[in-house]
Amino acid sequence: MSIRVLNPNAEVLNKSAALHMNINAAKGLQDVLKSNLGPKGTIKMLVGGSGDIKLTKDGNTLLKEMQIQNPTAIMIARTAVAQDDISGDGTTSTVLFIGELMKQSDRYIDEGMHPRVLVDGFEIAKRATLQFLEKFKTPVVMGDRPDIEMLKMVARTTVRTKLYEALADQLTNIIVDAILCIRKPEEAIDLFMVEIMHMRHKFDVDTRLVEGLVLDHGSRHPDMKRRAENCHILTCNVSLEYEKSEINSGFFYSNAEQREAMVIAERRQVDEKVKKIIELKRKVCSDNDSSFVVINQKGIDPPSLDMLAREGIIALRRAKRRNMERLVLACGGEAVNSVDDLTPESLGWAGLVYEHVLGEDKYTFVENVKNPFSCTILIKGPNDHTIAQIKDAVRDGLRAVKNTIEDESVVLGAGAFEVAARQHLINEVKKTVQGRAQLGVEAFADALLVVPKTLAENSGLDTQDVIIALTGEHDRGNIVGLNQNTGEPIDPQIEGIYDNYSVKRQIINSGPVIASQLLLVDEVIRAGRNMRKPT
Amino acid sequence: MKEIVTIQVGDYANYIGSHFWNFQDELIGLAGDPQADSVFKNQDLNMDVLYRTGETHQGIDTYTPRLVSINMRGSLGSMSSRGTLYKEVAPTTSDVFTWTGSVSTQASEPREKNLFLRSLYEEESQNMVNEISGSHSGSPSEYEDKDITESLENGVQFWTDYSKVHFHPQSLYELNGVWTDVEEFDNYGIGRDSFSWASHGEEISDRLRFFVEECDHVQGFQFVVDDSGGFSSVGAEFLENIVDEYTNTPVLLYAARGSGSRASLQTRKRTILVELHDAISFSRLSSYSKLIVPVGLPSLGRASKFLHIEDEKHYHSSAVYAAALHSISLPFRMLPVGPTADACSVSGAVDFHGLIQMLSGQGRQNMVSILDVSMPTPALTGGQNEVSLLENFQPLTPMISEDGEDIHAIEHLTVHGAFASVEGRRATVCEVKDSLDAAFERANTRPMFHHLSVALCPLPIPLPFPSIFGNQVGKHGEMISSQLTNSSSKGSLDVHSIPMAARLRSSSAVLPLLENKLQNLHRYGITRGAAGAELLSSWGFGKEELVEMQEMLSKMVATLCPPQSSSDSD
Repeated sequence: MSIRVLNPNAEVLNKSAALHMNINAAKGLQDVLKSNLGPKGTIKMLVGGSGDIKLTKDGNTLLKEMQIQNPTAIMIARTAVAQDDISGDGTTSTVLFIGELMKQSDRYIDEGMHPRVLVDGFEIAKRATLQFLEKFKTPVVMGDRPDIEMLKMVARTTVRTKLYEALADQLTNIIVDAILCIRKPEEAIDLFMVEIMHMRHKFDVDTRLVEGLVLDHGSRHPDMKRRAENCHILTCNVSLEYEKSEINSGFFYSNAEQREAMVIAERRQVDEKVKKIIELKRKVCSDNDSSFVVINQKGIDPPSLDMLAREGIIALRRAKRRNMERLVLACGGEAVNSVDDLTPESLGWAGLVYEHVLGEDKYTFVENVKNPFSCTILIKGPNDHTIAQIKDAVRDGLRAVKNTIEDESVVLGAGAFEVAARQHLINEVKKTVQGRAQLGVEAFADALLVVPKTLAENSGLDTQDVIIALTGEHDRGNIVGLNQNTGEPIDPQIEGIYDNYSVKRQIINSGPVIASQLLLVDEVIRAGRNMRKPT
Repeated sequence: MKEIVTIQVGDYANYIGSHFWNFQDELIGLAGDPQADSVFKNQDLNMDVLYRTGETHQGIDTYTPRLVSINMRGSLGSMSSRGTLYKEVAPTTSDVFTWTGSVSTQASEPREKNLFLRSLYEEESQNMVNEISGSHSGSPSEYEDKDITESLENGVQFWTDYSKVHFHPQSLYELNGVWTDVEEFDNYGIGRDSFSWASHGEEISDRLRFFVEECDHVQGFQFVVDDSGGFSSVGAEFLENIVDEYTNTPVLLYAARGSGSRASLQTRKRTILVELHDAISFSRLSSYSKLIVPVGLPSLGRASKFLHIEDEKHYHSSAVYAAALHSISLPFRMLPVGPTADACSVSGAVDFHGLIQMLSGQGRQNMVSILDVSMPTPALTGGQNEVSLLENFQPLTPMISEDGEDIHAIEHLTVHGAFASVEGRRATVCEVKDSLDAAFERANTRPMFHHLSVALCPLPIPLPFPSIFGNQVGKHGEMISSQLTNSSSKGSLDVHSIPMAARLRSSSAVLPLLENKLQNLHRYGITRGAAGAELLSSWGFGKEELVEMQEMLSKMVATLCPPQSSSDSD
C-alpha cells in the first residue's frame, strides 16, 4: 500500500476487485450492444434531452453516442471503434467477443486459475483460429469482371442487419452498382468517389443511384437555365470574384478619380477571366444545341454571373473540393486552375444538367455522363434521423463490398465460421496444448460461440438447443449456420450469407489482445475520483 | 453588400455569441417596432451582412444568423440542434421507417426549459393564434418580466438558456464521440486527441460552405474561439482549413476565455500544463489569422466602475465582450452614405479588409490587437467628474502594459449612441467626430493614426441581458448623479439602451502578453530538459514545430520592440 503513503486520497483496487471491475465493465458493455446483432436485432432510438432523435442499429454509432465513463469500457469501446475505422464493420461483434472472453475467463479465475495461464491459452487459440480462418475462407476471384452475385450477397448480409429486408435489397443493388461504377482495374477503390447525398422528402423513403453527380447547390442567377441538355462541363478552381489584392499591398490614391480608376482596373481583371470562359463557350457551342456549364470551386460574384448568364452559361460557385475530383471522374475533362489553361479538351460532358428545388435547398443533377468513374447515391427520407440511419447502412454496405474486392475472399456467415472454429479448437487444437493452457483454449473456443448464441437469443430461440444442433451438424462434417426464423441449421452458402474476411480477422486479432490486457490487470489505482461510483 | 460569416467555437465563444445575436435580434425588432425610440428606426445598418434570408419547406420566410457554432455534445441544453424554425414536415413520432423488427427507445429526461424560453415559446404560439383569428387583443402573458430576469440571474446553465434568436439548422454543430468530461477538455492536447478533423472536418466545412456559397461577396469571417481548453485545437484546425479553402478572405479572430477559469493552479505540473496550453494555442491560432484579438480578463470586476460583474458567471462576463464585439462590428455593416453627411446616422464605414489592413497591414505589421471598451460611454461634455471619452476606455485584453506610450500605435474607434451632454441629448455624428478629434488633439499620447466610426444607434439591452449595471446608469445609459442607497444592480428592465464605445488598437502595450507566451514556450517546452517537453510531444508537437512557433512569436515581439530596448529585454 505504498501508494497510500504517497497520496492518501488515492484509491486502490487490488487483485480480484480490480479484475472484477474489468470483467463487469466488459459484460456491461456487452449487454448494451447484444440486442443489436443480426437481422433480428433491436433497433435503438435515442432521444436526447432537447428532443433530438437518433436511430441506430450500428454498434459503432451507439458507442459514440453513449457517454461512457468507466475507464475499462472506454478501452473496449476504443478498440471496437478502431475496428470500424479499419474494416468498416464488426463493432458489435468485437464488443461481444471481448465481453464473452472476459465472462468465460471469470469462471476459471473463480476456480483459482491464474489469468496469466489463460492468456497464454488465448494466444495459442488466436493463432490457431487465424490459421483456421485461412483454410475456411471462400476465395473469390475478382479479375476484370467481379462476381456480381457474390458482391451482392456480401452487401445484402451487411445491409439486412441495419434495414428491413425490402429496403435492404433495394440498397444492395445500388451499392454494388456504385462500387462497380467507381472501380478501376489495378487501382484501390476510393469510396469517396461515391457521393452520398440526401433530400428530405415528405413521406417518401426512396434511394436511387445517380450515374453522375448531385450537387447540393444551384446557380445563383435568376436568368440562368434550370435545365440543359448536351452540356459541356467546365470544372475549375478560379476566383471569379472581385477581390482586393493581398493584405500587405495597399491601394494608394490621391483623389477620387484615381481610386475609381483603380477599382475599374481591378474589376477588369475579373472580367477578362470571365471573357476567356465565354470565348471557349462560343468555340465549343457553335452548333447551338449544346450548352455550357461552369462549376467553380471558388466564388463567382454577381457581375460575373451576369456576364455568364447573358451568354446562356449555367454557373455554379463554391463547389465542394471533393466534388471537383468527382466531377472530373464522372464527366471527363480536367479541373482547370487558371483560365490560361482553357482548352476544349479540358471540358467534360454530361447529357443532362438540371436543378431541383426543395424549399431553400437547391440540388443540381449532372446526369447521363459517358463512362462515369464517380456516382451519387441519393437518399430520400422523411426526417433527419431516418436519413442518417440509411446513410450509415449505405456506408457499411459500400465498405463491405470494397473489402470483398480487396480481400478476394469471403467467410460463410450466420455463425457458421464461429461454430466451425470452435469445433476445430476443441477437437484438434486443444489436444496439442500442454498443461493448463488448454483451459485458455477452451475458454476462447466457447467465447467464439457468442455470435451464434446472440443471434439465436435475438430471434427468440433457445440458445442451448441451437448450439447443440449446430455443433452436432459440424461434427458430422456439415458447415452450417443458423436460420434465424426457425432455429434450424442452414447452409449459409445456399442462403447467400457471407461476411467479410478482413472483418472477421480483425475481430479475432484485436479481441483477445484487449481481453488479455484487461485480465492481467491486478491493481487499479486512481487518485481523485471515486471509481466504484456506478456509471 | 458584403457578407460576414460568423464562427463560434467552444463554450465561452457561444456564450458571447448568444449575447451578440440577442443584440442583433433586438435591433431588428426595434427597427420594426412603432413604439420604439426613433434612433432605432433609422439605423442605417445593413443587417443582411450578418443575417441570411431563407425559406422553410412550408414556404415560411426565415431570417437567421449566418453562423456556424461548434460546441460539445449536450451543451445546447434544451435547444434542439436543428433550431426551432425548420420543423420537420413529417410528424416526428416513433414511427421507424427503416426497420420492421423490434425498437427500443432510450429517451433521456427532456430538459426543462427555463422561464425565459417558455415565455418566448408561448409568445410565439400566441402570435400564431392571433394571426389566424385576426384578433390582436394581446392577452397578458402569465410570466412577469421580473421573474424572467431573476430566473436568468440565478440559473443560466447553457448559452442557449438566454438566447432569443432562431438559428438555422445548419448553424449548430455538436461534436460527437468526445469521450471526455467537459471539465477535462481543458488543454490543447486533449482537443487534438479527441477531435480528429478527418472525421468531423468534412461536415463542419460543409456547414460553413453552405453559408459561404450563398454569399455574393464575403468580406470576411468573424471567428470567436474559446481558447481556454481543447477547443483551441479544434479552432486551429478549422482555421487552417478556412485559410486553405478561402485564401483571400480575411479572418478576424477573437480568442476569448471566461474569467476566473484559471484560479485553481494547485500544482506545478498543472501550472506548466496551463502555461504551455496558452502559449501553444496562441501561437497556433495566430498563425492562421490576419488579425487576432485576445480577450478575456482574469477578472472583469474593474472593467468599468459602472458595471457590477460576477466573474464566476459566464452569463455576466460574456455580455461585456459581446457588447464590445457588437460595437466593433458596426462599421462593417454601415450603409454607404451620400454627400449630405450631417443628416445621416452613421459615418466611418470600413470593411473587414480595410480594418485588418489598417491595424495590421501598415508599418509594423503587428497582427495582435487590443480590445478596449467603454461601457457605458460618458457624455461628450459635462458630467460631474469630467471623464473624457478617451480616458474612459478599459482594456478587455489580458496582460497588457498600462502605460501604452507608443508613438506608432494605430487605433480604430467605434462610438455609437453617445450623448452630447449630461442632459441626455444624443450627439449627432458630426458632434461626436468633432469632439473626439479635439480630444485627440489635446491628449498627451496620441496614436500615429486613428480611424473613427460613429453611429447614432445605441446598444439596445434585450430582456435576457444580465443585471450588471450599477445604479448610476439611467434608463438610456446616461449617468445619473443622484446616488441612491439601494445598491442592487440594474438589468434590462431599468436600462433599455446604453451608449457604447469600443476600440481596437495595435500598440506595443500588448508586448507583455507576447513576451509571456514566448517565455513560457521557451522555458517549459524548448530549453534542454524542459519540464513540459514530454507533455508537448504527447500533444504531437515535434521539436522543429516548436522552434518554428518560437520564431514566429519572437518575430511578433520584435516588430513591436523598439530596436534599442530589445537587447536588454532578457
